[in-house]
Amino acid sequence: MKLAALVAGKDLRETARDKLSFIFIILMPLAFTAFFGLLFGGGSDVDKLPLALWDADGGEAATQLVAALDESPVVRVVIKEGGEFEQWMADERAAAGLIIPEGYSEAVASGEKAGLTIVATQGASGASTVASEVRSLAGEQVTVELAARAAAQVIWSTRSVPAGELEGVVAETAARARPAVEQALSHPAVSTRVVEAGAAAGQTPSGFVLSSPGMMVNFILFSLMTAGIALIMERQNGTLQRLMTTRLRRWQLIGGKAAGMFLLTFLQQALLIAVAQLLFDVDYLRDPAALLVMMVSLSLVASTLGLLLAAVLKSEQALIATTVLVSMALAAMSGAWFPLEITGQTFQTVGHLLPTAWILDGLRGIVVRGFDVADVLPAFWVSLAWAAGFFVVAVWRFRLSE
Amino acid sequence: MSIVEVQELRKQYDPPKGVLAVDGVSFDIAEGEIFSLLGPNGAGKSTTISMLSCLLKPTGGDAMVGGNSIVHQAQAVKETIGVVPQDIALYPDMSARENLTFWGRMYGLSGDALKKRVEEVLELITLIDRQKDRVDKFSGGMKRRVNIGVALLHKPKVLYLDEPTVGIDPQSRRSILDGILALRAQGMTILYTTHYMAVAQELSDRIGIVDNGKMIALGSHEELVRIVGQQSRVTARVDHYLEGMAERWREVPGVEKVDIEEDEAVLLTDDANEVLPRLFEAAAAAGSRITEINVREPNLEMVFLHLTGRALRE
Amino acid sequence: MKVLAIAWKDLRSTVRNVPALVMMLVAPLALASLLGFAFGGSESFEIAATKVAVATEDQGSPASPTVAGCMVAGILESPDLKDVLRATRVKDAAATRKAVDDGDAAVAVIVPADFSQVVYGDDPTATAQVELYENPTSEVGGSIVEGVVGQVLADFNGARAAAAGAVAVRSDDGGDPPAAQVAAAAAEAFSHDGGVASVLDIAQRSPKVGKTENEVSVTGAILSGMMVFFMFFGAANVARTILTEDRDGTMPRLFTTPTRHGTIIGGKFVSVFVTVLLQAVVLLIAGRLIFGIDWGRIDAVVLLTLVAAGVAGGLALLIIAFAKTPAQAGAIGSGIYLVLALLGGNFTGTAQTSGTYAVVQKLTPNGWLIQGWDTAMRGGGAVDVRWQVLVPLGFAVAFFFFAVLRMRRRFA
Repeated sequence: MKLAALVAGKDLRETARDKLSFIFIILMPLAFTAFFGLLFGGGSDVDKLPLALWDADGGEAATQLVAALDESPVVRVVIKEGGEFEQWMADERAAAGLIIPEGYSEAVASGEKAGLTIVATQGASGASTVASEVRSLAGEQVTVELAARAAAQVIWSTRSVPAGELEGVVAETAARARPAVEQALSHPAVSTRVVEAGAAAGQTPSGFVLSSPGMMVNFILFSLMTAGIALIMERQNGTLQRLMTTRLRRWQLIGGKAAGMFLLTFLQQALLIAVAQLLFDVDYLRDPAALLVMMVSLSLVASTLGLLLAAVLKSEQALIATTVLVSMALAAMSGAWFPLEITGQTFQTVGHLLPTAWILDGLRGIVVRGFDVADVLPAFWVSLAWAAGFFVVAVWRFRLSE
Repeated sequence: MSIVEVQELRKQYDPPKGVLAVDGVSFDIAEGEIFSLLGPNGAGKSTTISMLSCLLKPTGGDAMVGGNSIVHQAQAVKETIGVVPQDIALYPDMSARENLTFWGRMYGLSGDALKKRVEEVLELITLIDRQKDRVDKFSGGMKRRVNIGVALLHKPKVLYLDEPTVGIDPQSRRSILDGILALRAQGMTILYTTHYMAVAQELSDRIGIVDNGKMIALGSHEELVRIVGQQSRVTARVDHYLEGMAERWREVPGVEKVDIEEDEAVLLTDDANEVLPRLFEAAAAAGSRITEINVREPNLEMVFLHLTGRALRE
Repeated sequence: MKVLAIAWKDLRSTVRNVPALVMMLVAPLALASLLGFAFGGSESFEIAATKVAVATEDQGSPASPTVAGCMVAGILESPDLKDVLRATRVKDAAATRKAVDDGDAAVAVIVPADFSQVVYGDDPTATAQVELYENPTSEVGGSIVEGVVGQVLADFNGARAAAAGAVAVRSDDGGDPPAAQVAAAAAEAFSHDGGVASVLDIAQRSPKVGKTENEVSVTGAILSGMMVFFMFFGAANVARTILTEDRDGTMPRLFTTPTRHGTIIGGKFVSVFVTVLLQAVVLLIAGRLIFGIDWGRIDAVVLLTLVAAGVAGGLALLIIAFAKTPAQAGAIGSGIYLVLALLGGNFTGTAQTSGTYAVVQKLTPNGWLIQGWDTAMRGGGAVDVRWQVLVPLGFAVAFFFFAVLRMRRRFA
């Protein structure tokens, strides 16, 4: 064990002396996390989403809808028309666009079907939020008219009215019913109450809170590259082979290498977590024991995977190519870039076979849902199993020389 | 006529306090001559060749190669020289032919002239049969041959070879040395750096001995050896009473000098072949037996030792 | 000619270099396939149905035979919504929350016991809340359920409002019908034809680019992001040979030939650009043939491809100009490319136009390029992508300029 520890210590020392490794492994992820946190951290994103609005109608209902959208805390209305509207949308200068066609107000007033058109790029998250707000406010507006007309129609339904006059009297009655309708709608009887699971501890997740674990996993996976390159250089310059002429056994060498990578990735995590916790209130330390379990899990997976890649690949170029491909595929399939919930069922199932998906769920669970050690232990076991598999293959395939 | 004239060449890395790798080296190389720069590792040989190749700018001094200054007319110098670096500098994933073609282009050859010359060089380095094979599949000796072949593509007037036989087997070394002699026979001027005394001795018309950046001796082999005299050095051990035996040997005709160093006698003589039998007779007459005897003819190793107090191979 | 000889040599080396080809061609295509598969592997984004656990504790109301809570649950279980919601009825509130806590559902919908009483009762001050207990990491699913349930409740509130309105004007025609009767009738009239959905039709379309309204396919959006990202690596591979050749001695040897330094370095610059341009062309063709991606109008495609090659090449050369060894260049370059990709949206697409992120994207050349590809795929021409070409071109020129300055000092 002592010899293995010496190997690990030597590797860490070499990494510490290599200024550019320091930049790549420590400084860059820290800087990026801090930058991202400043942009998106500190509570939910308070920016209003820009909504390009083309009012081709100009009538009462249209104007009221525009006013309601103007007062919305979710959207920021930008009035555009015609070709300018289309160009604005084509240039993606708004999260979404709304066209109020000519005839809208008349349709609303007469109880006919009123149409609106939302213009948005498919799949845009900002667009769906804006669309939802438009639907909500337009729905409210239409509800008033519909309810008032329904009330009026009921009153006149049993009376016979001269032909051609019914519409007029219904409209008059609807107008008189409107204040009562609006009064009723201003105090809705039924509503929803959203409760976030795990919010007992009080944290409402901002964009950064949810993305911080994913970014950390991404960087840890990517930094496998530096450790792997160092190993390949040792193989190329003959020092690995030379080590085997000493008392050091093969398993001690490989174990020492893995231990060095483990400690390095653990240190990286610690720094990134410290920045996120102290500067951006991402509450990783809500359950320190659970966090430790997850950090150990991630370091186990990363170090054994890095070892495996360096064990089987010949050149630094091959290592870079493979690390990029593997780390990106793992990140994507684990939910580091986008939540797995928005993907197809098969993809989600396959993604959840991967240890990194479990680790990400565990980290997010700690931060947002108050997970404790018992909740994250399954992730640990899955990670351990994968790490053991990587390690076994690495030992089997480890080449000492070119 | 001199085709290379080196005048007080100096190179200091990171002046003013940095290492002075070459300190005022001067020498000429006549056209068609093989000139060797002999010295231990770190003497400044490679730095001198780098400056003469226009890879490094001298800190002081200049050199004329083919009538062009290395400081002011580097491009013209490069047209006249071929450089064979110490390490193999080829593209490993390209074939021998592809390497020669590419380098030929860099030397300004093109079209049919390039094709023809590549064929000629492949013949010269006897790799016609392997021309389509990737260089990374070649043996060390074969790589060295391609390495040399590249430098010959444009038929340079002067060929620089920087330790071209380091780390290769004797057979390949022999082949390279024979090749160099053949090139000289065709009129090429060759500047050769080495730390192998035997190679310098065999190949060169003249030798410059460098140490610590300075030229400490310059001349033909015979001229250099004369520095330590023409005398052979004989060392002998006897079974008993060495001092008495040394006295008797001083009287032997042909023995110029006898010293005792530790437990052996060191004799200097102009003709070891004539003196040796007399030494045995004298020992027998004195009732002693010579247990060990050694003869060394004067060589460059001794010259270096004489001039620097260190062995060439230290 | 010598410049081209150097470029040709490097290109030949790249084609023989398996790891380089994997990085340049296989990786982007493989990841595009993988991610395309993630999103349903089809033309449009499809998401997996959100799992919903529903518990209704609604006791009903004497005022109506209908149990309102069951209507809420019924809507959630509707076959019309089966593509977006997968609802399961659960015993009670505690069980639904547990389902969310255990990860078996993304959202729990809990209808309270007094729901029908409030909906059908005549007490204007009575309220009831439907609890939506959500997994906070499940943002999309939560929004969908909030939208669906919200719409159902809005219709209940609308019906009650109609009832209130009817009561207020029940004597308008001179009669005096019982309030309860007109209220019930008005509520029924409101809901009868389908509530709000029957009088409001909200359509959605894509922005018009040029004269077209093409949708961008999933794989097209992903592959364009991957292509730009891996062009960085493709350029870096070739640029790194400047350092490997310096280390291995072939670069110094080149400097001993009559070929000028500028020509040699210039040749390397050309190799980087040509190789990465070819990489892009191969990926565009592969995207078309394998995934059927319509990249758009030829003028926009050509401009975007050329400028992307310039950006990738310039950045790679700039990094090399400052790196000491090939390994260093590889590691640092990879880190820079990853950061640029995360900031520029290579992995997430251009559809993040919310304030700050949109600004951040515009700080990166790849952010502009991805927007440009999006516009091109939606039918835009050269004029439509002018800014997405000009701004990255500015980046490329700056990269090349500083790379040249530094290289001249280094290889003087």
